[in-house]
Amino acid sequence: MSTHTYKKFEDIDSGTLPDKMTVYQECLQAFNASPIQAKRCRLLLSRLLRLLYAGETFPKTEATNLFFSTSKLFHHNDGSLRQLVYLAIKELCSLSDDILMATASIMKDIQGGDILYKPNAVRTLARVLDGSTIHAAERAMKNCVVDKNPNVSSAALVSSYHLLPVAKDVVRRWTNETQEAITSNKVFPQTQYAMHEHYGVNKLLTATYTYQYHALGLLYHLRDHDKMALMKMIQQFNTQQPLKSSLATVQLIRYVGKLIEEDSHLTQTLWPFFPGWLKNKSDMVELEASRTILSLPKFLPEQQMQAINTLQTLLSVPRTVTRFAAVRILNKIAMKSPEKIMVCNLELESLINDSNRSVSTYAITTLLKTGNSENVDRLVKTISGFMDDISDEFKIIVIDAIRTLSLKFPDKHKSMLNFLNDVLRDEGGFNFKNSIIEAIFDIIKFIPKSRELALEMLCEFIEDCEYTELAVRVLHLLGDEGPKTSNPTLYIRHIYNRVVLENSIVRSSAVIALSKFALIGDQSITKSIKILLKRCLQDVDDEVRDRAALSLKLLSTKDIEQAKSFIAPTFKYSLPILEQQLALYVSNADKETFVHPFDIKAIPTMTEEEAKAAEFKEKTTIYEEPVAQAADNSSEEEKVSESARHTLLQQQYAQEFAAIPEIAAYGQLLHSSSVVELTEKETEFVVTAVKHIFESHVVIQYDVKNTLSEIQLEDVSVVAQPENEEYTEEFLMPIDVLKINSSGSIYVSFNRPEGTVPTSIANTLSYTTKDVDPATGEAAEDEEGFPDEYQIEDLPVVPGDFIVPAFTGNFTHAWDELEHENVAVFNLGDAATTDLQDVVTKLIKTMSMMPAESTDLVTSSSSHTLKLFGKSIGGDKVAAIVRLASSSKGVMMKSQVRSSDDELSQMVANYIE
Amino acid sequence: MPFDVSLYSVQATIILDNEGKRLFAKYYHPPHKVSDDELITSEKKQASFEASLFKKTFKLSSDIILFENKVVVYREFADAAVYLLGDLNENENLLYNVLQGLVGALEIILRNQIDKKSILENYDMVILAIDETVDDGIVLETDPSVIASRVSKPPTEDNTNIKIDLSEKGLLSAFNFARKNISDRLQQGF
Repeated sequence: MSTHTYKKFEDIDSGTLPDKMTVYQECLQAFNASPIQAKRCRLLLSRLLRLLYAGETFPKTEATNLFFSTSKLFHHNDGSLRQLVYLAIKELCSLSDDILMATASIMKDIQGGDILYKPNAVRTLARVLDGSTIHAAERAMKNCVVDKNPNVSSAALVSSYHLLPVAKDVVRRWTNETQEAITSNKVFPQTQYAMHEHYGVNKLLTATYTYQYHALGLLYHLRDHDKMALMKMIQQFNTQQPLKSSLATVQLIRYVGKLIEEDSHLTQTLWPFFPGWLKNKSDMVELEASRTILSLPKFLPEQQMQAINTLQTLLSVPRTVTRFAAVRILNKIAMKSPEKIMVCNLELESLINDSNRSVSTYAITTLLKTGNSENVDRLVKTISGFMDDISDEFKIIVIDAIRTLSLKFPDKHKSMLNFLNDVLRDEGGFNFKNSIIEAIFDIIKFIPKSRELALEMLCEFIEDCEYTELAVRVLHLLGDEGPKTSNPTLYIRHIYNRVVLENSIVRSSAVIALSKFALIGDQSITKSIKILLKRCLQDVDDEVRDRAALSLKLLSTKDIEQAKSFIAPTFKYSLPILEQQLALYVSNADKETFVHPFDIKAIPTMTEEEAKAAEFKEKTTIYEEPVAQAADNSSEEEKVSESARHTLLQQQYAQEFAAIPEIAAYGQLLHSSSVVELTEKETEFVVTAVKHIFESHVVIQYDVKNTLSEIQLEDVSVVAQPENEEYTEEFLMPIDVLKINSSGSIYVSFNRPEGTVPTSIANTLSYTTKDVDPATGEAAEDEEGFPDEYQIEDLPVVPGDFIVPAFTGNFTHAWDELEHENVAVFNLGDAATTDLQDVVTKLIKTMSMMPAESTDLVTSSSSHTLKLFGKSIGGDKVAAIVRLASSSKGVMMKSQVRSSDDELSQMVANYIE
Repeated sequence: MPFDVSLYSVQATIILDNEGKRLFAKYYHPPHKVSDDELITSEKKQASFEASLFKKTFKLSSDIILFENKVVVYREFADAAVYLLGDLNENENLLYNVLQGLVGALEIILRNQIDKKSILENYDMVILAIDETVDDGIVLETDPSVIASRVSKPPTEDNTNIKIDLSEKGLLSAFNFARKNISDRLQQGF
């Protein structure tokens, strides 16, 4: 290697890392030399550390060599060299062996060293020592903890904290010293600021009291099991000897928070401390106190208001980070109880144009969450006021929020649509316009009564639309939705205008849209459509002519139904599955498969209603998740949407079953439940189950995981006994061999009685164990093994297993339609321990129905009404209204279930987990 | 919100240059505990984390972002940026105060010249300042002057005025010393 390359790093501008081997050689040489050249050694050490901090490492022997050589530098007494030696030793400790040998030199410095590097020595000691060697340093550590110099004391306290995991009992011996350190008054020595000539504009402090923070942190861990001592401590540091360090106060608030979290009865006992913290001079403390109050459930509303008021003032401070933290907390609250933060709306509105993008995004989404049926109009108006000032990227976030908001408040669709219409006319890029169109599409889809108004807007939009792609999408939608309206001819004119005025791509999609109107059944319309289509036959573009010809041909057939199935099919293929199957088909290496054409019938189809249910669920869940994701900017990875994952899973099950002839004979898989855990996650064998419902059978899939590393299981089966005798076992497919750390599936099939019959299945896992030779991982050939059994939990078969969630645009209407009503009342137990949101989430899961009118979000802590809709696998509709009320007697639940099938509604109403 | 009462508040200190190259990076973990966080153990993960963090923050002086489930506070300078990482539930202001302390101390030490060149030229003082601010994740101090006052300057010059012993014994030992050194050098190929 020439000198040119390995000296290159000395030219700072290049930013090149020093060569690793050169640094290694030079360090060994210089550190072992005599006399030691302090300046050169400090330079070499800084190069070595530069390598380490850039991510380079050394092999163990080389690191140990470096460690030994570095410790030779203890012979030189220069303080500035010693400081860097300590840093190097600290970093090398984790890489090298025999680090204990440095102890003597370090101890010498701690006992009599210069104040410049004494704290460094103390902190390095914590890396060199471990649980067995700490005893030697006990006296020295105690002395340092009580040292007059704040730096030394802090260093000793932090070191003790680092040592807690390995030597708690030893550290406990200086509990008294630690306690003393918190209350003592340590100031910096006169010489503290002698090192540099200029300290800028900063005021030179005589004390910062940071040691209080360290001592408090340590003391908490030494006393954490004694709640009374902790309470006393909190009391003491609040009233008698208030803490002077903001860091320490923040830490104290965290302890208070934790105490309350563990025992919510203490909430009101500890409340008196909070008002002072909420008016602290440090933002840090105010934030911590507010966050604590707002994240614990048992504070009274007026107490929470105090915290919100503090945050409100923090929203307008100059420091970005503070605004960010405050709006972030408020955003979180807005998800659960938006009404509480409406007082901050004015401040939030002024944050919309904040220079920090995260802050403004939080502000907008928070504002929109505070929308309720009363103030939504005003909010939308405010937002339209500043729409011109923000970037496209931001507008999209706002549009998305508006979209979810309008799905939440269907009654307000008019003002929302007007807003969208206004922004649609504004200048904007494709992505922005696209998001508006998406929002309008969703409103049309899920709020039927908005249809005519929205379609009219879209018609106007395509009159003057610069994006072909959007025009095509709108035309398609007009073709789908237009014929359903009361006055379809209105749209025909708009669509035909496109045929006259637009480019060929738009023209051809307009042709298809037109032909859909011919299917309404009104002869005069059909006749005029045919005339229009005939004109299109003269078009200059062949695609347009082809489409017109095809439509005309189909329209002139006698069989109108057949024409319909071509022009406007009523069902859709499940696209993720179609894609997956096609990919499988094409990627198959075996040429034989191509002999058979691709079977489109294998792809499950969805009726429009089912597709809507899935879509709606997805759209509204976006709302529930913190919209912060948008501010977070990190969600670049493409996420598989929830519903697609569900269908894929269902598809996967179906495929597995197709491979098992016995199960394949059962016909189509109607419904698969979510995974139920039958054992604790930490047991030797982890068993989970999935219930698969077929036309007249139930197949239970038990997934067994063997977590043992010495024992292999053979002939694993489940003895499953249904409580209800109408279920009869048909067959069982055991796992032959379950190797170490592997998993497998057992299938047990039952004949299913007709209708919805809940039951409970008692399960016992039976198997033969064999010891495994750890070397090979295989069981010995000749070993016989021991038969054994293992009791696992019962598996309930619930009505929810027979119900598929379904979407309804109009719950009240669906509810009134169903006749058989059943009512049941339950007491869910103590109100203090039951969270309504948890109950609701659990209900939705076990009942396997779709929440309607966004009632899945609990907004009040005392009562809630949940509306659910679903379809049984037999095709019967089920609707449920569950009322929850929390009172002194506990949480009461009244479930009202209506269904077209009496038996079903009774079953659903009476079932509760 | 889980109440995290540990004193380990800072997860990493990073200094990157204006091309996203690492000038300094230390991912903290308690010294006597084994960590299983990939960001701490895997060098590759750290590099990709820093690369995407740089892309997200470059030329956007916004002080704070949430990034990959962490709170990141940072300060940008001409051709370098200082980052501090904390848990998603960490008090944002606490972290920022630490950053302010560190940056303030660097300003004192580097005489208001925080840029890539002076950071690399005074690397020894920069790393001492970081070490005096955060000790394996625990905040040591947040006041800039106090942090700076703990950072020693490098020794001004090497002490070369060795006493020359002109007695016969002294000359002999000087000769032996020279012989040993020369043969060492020759063996190493100089």
